[in-house]
Amino acid sequence: MGTLSSALNIAVQAMLADETALDTTSNNIANANTPGYSRQTVNFVEAPPVEYGGQLYGTGVQVSSIVSQRSGVLQLLLNQDTQQQGQYSSFLTTMQQVQTLFNETGGNGLQSSITGFFNSLQQLSEDPSNTTYRQAVITAAQNMAQNFNSISASLTSLQQNVDASVTQSVNQINALAPQIAALNSQISAAVSTGQNAGSLMDQRDQLINHLSGLVGVSEIDAGNGNITVTTTAGAPLVVGNKSFQLTTQADPTTGFQHVYSLGNDITSSIAGGALGGALQVRDSTIPSIQSSLDSLASNLENSFNAINQAGFDLNGNPGGNFFVPPPAGGAGAAAKMAVAITDPSQIAASQDGSAGDNANVNAMLAIQNQAIVNGQTPINAYSSLVFQIGNDVSTAQSEEQASQASIQQVQNQIGSISGVSINEEAANLIQYQQAYQAAAQAAAVISSLTQTAMTMFGAAPSVG
Amino acid sequence: MSIRVNPNILPDLVASIEQAQQAAQTATQQMATGRSVNNLSDNPAAAASLVGNDALTSENDQYLTNLGDLQSKFQAADSALNTAVQLMTTAISLGTEGATGTLSASDRQVIAQQVQGLQQQMLALANTSYQGTYIFSGTDVTTQAFSPNSGSPSGVQYNGNAGVTSVDIGDGQSMQTNLSGDQIFTNANGSVFQALNDLVNSLNSGTGIDAANTEVSKAFSQLTTQRVFYGNALNQVQNSQNYLNQEQVNLSTQQNQLVGANMTQVVADESQAQTAEQAALSATAQILNLPTLLTYIK
Repeated sequence: MGTLSSALNIAVQAMLADETALDTTSNNIANANTPGYSRQTVNFVEAPPVEYGGQLYGTGVQVSSIVSQRSGVLQLLLNQDTQQQGQYSSFLTTMQQVQTLFNETGGNGLQSSITGFFNSLQQLSEDPSNTTYRQAVITAAQNMAQNFNSISASLTSLQQNVDASVTQSVNQINALAPQIAALNSQISAAVSTGQNAGSLMDQRDQLINHLSGLVGVSEIDAGNGNITVTTTAGAPLVVGNKSFQLTTQADPTTGFQHVYSLGNDITSSIAGGALGGALQVRDSTIPSIQSSLDSLASNLENSFNAINQAGFDLNGNPGGNFFVPPPAGGAGAAAKMAVAITDPSQIAASQDGSAGDNANVNAMLAIQNQAIVNGQTPINAYSSLVFQIGNDVSTAQSEEQASQASIQQVQNQIGSISGVSINEEAANLIQYQQAYQAAAQAAAVISSLTQTAMTMFGAAPSVG
Repeated sequence: MSIRVNPNILPDLVASIEQAQQAAQTATQQMATGRSVNNLSDNPAAAASLVGNDALTSENDQYLTNLGDLQSKFQAADSALNTAVQLMTTAISLGTEGATGTLSASDRQVIAQQVQGLQQQMLALANTSYQGTYIFSGTDVTTQAFSPNSGSPSGVQYNGNAGVTSVDIGDGQSMQTNLSGDQIFTNANGSVFQALNDLVNSLNSGTGIDAANTEVSKAFSQLTTQRVFYGNALNQVQNSQNYLNQEQVNLSTQQNQLVGANMTQVVADESQAQTAEQAALSATAQILNLPTLLTYIK
């Protein structure tokens, strides 16, 4: 049976529900620019009716839930793009410095010192007993060796910088994992009691996205609001309310930090994110460039040594090593390249021992056009290396731009679901304001009717 | 119901401004350097080709320097041999004069002394040095080519060797750069020193002058033949210089095609990028200033 008091109650309930809606709207407006915030909406439902005398009476409105508008699929896509973007971006940070070491577009890279060395021999060939020309050959050889040394040293130092960033990334991952685990337990507690965990989920999405920027991860919905996070290769980072720390340990041979999970070396299985990009540069790209340089340096050194030993120097003595012999196998040859000859007369320019013979210099010169480096001439081998580096950087740049564009697109899609629209909120504000005003007006009218009913029996008005 | 769009348009707007700025920056860099390839990654294939192109250019520069040096050396040799030929011409006239039957023994001795003078000059020419090395000593360049030797039929002995050198004068091209002294001056087909020495001896003795004159003529023509080598070498140097200079022009054209910026295009790009940037900025300002529904709530 409908009564004035139940009508008043309905109006007050409506005011309370509208207050909740206004509150949510206000919260949306407040967080319009908060990164990671998903707009929330209030779900109104009819309060359960009561039955009296065979008749159902409505009991007003109530708030069934406050819901965050979010898409798990899009968030997952965003994280995947973020992993790619993080990897390429970290790769490029170092590789853009690497490519400036091979400054061939400015015309003063390694090419000019290699050619300069051959040119000095060219000059000597024309006047093989000329001491000034001989000195010029030694100077050009030293210049070339120093160029190899400094490029190799710079590569190593870039590699070391990357190595330092590995530890930093691991520390950041280790800082994020416990926060995600803590949110997991808060969210599962909230979910089990039917509370709105939207803000907590926003925070967790943000943290997992940050984590994706650092390392490639897989996310598994473990139920009860929990998300299990592992590296793409399956090393656990967060399981339920537990987090697992990654550790680093220097490799005894290279001195570089290796990444361990639960005691296993997972370095080679890490892909994606800043850490994946750093490891790619440190363990694959730079070593491959170094090895090409080493091969170029050691083959040049060995070829020159063999020819110099086959000839006679200015004093008619058999020639010795032109360069300090490179390490066996060539590893480290570029870094250690050095000219063995110090006395200009020791260049074995002559093949028959006479001072004016240039046949041995000509044999040295011929190296320029011989396929001594893996089937390529020295300059062609170097040119291939230059192409390889340029291509690596250029490919990574395109990939990075593509993943950046993809991120932007996914963010737009996420925004279309989760973003706060001021216009929409303003419309809601007006709607709830009017609803609240109507409910308040209804309460006033019912209150007035109650007074009327009371006066009817002679009771003095309690108010007024 | 219409599709909800992302209410946060700021990132898109900022991205479009950044894109326009990046295009402007690229154009400005190309303008400043005059190159369209400023990093290896701008065009890896062009950068790799540039390595080979630069190496060839530098090699050719060295070839040209060498050719310049060779030219001077050949000129020194050619000029020495030119003088030698003149000496032999003089020797021929002196020999003819000495063969005249009316001459007294003392007249012939005067002529013999003149020929001896020629011998001395010839020795000096055969010992010509260029930049501190003897050019007619074969490859034994630090040893004086000829020294007087009265015990020898030619009056001199050759101290050099028969070695010849060759020098690269272009990619895959080389040329011989010397003739050994014995080939020029004491050639079996006509020895300059032997002929002069025989002429002196025959003039002094008065016998065999005609035979000596024949010998001198033979040595003269042999010397002239040998001299042709240096004349040809000078021509070859000239030809190679012409070829290499043309090659340098070609390489420079290639280089320009590889990495040179098309200035007309770059200037157009730059102004286009600036216009795009201004448009993006102005659009952003307008969009950000659009009123919302809130503006109208009183």
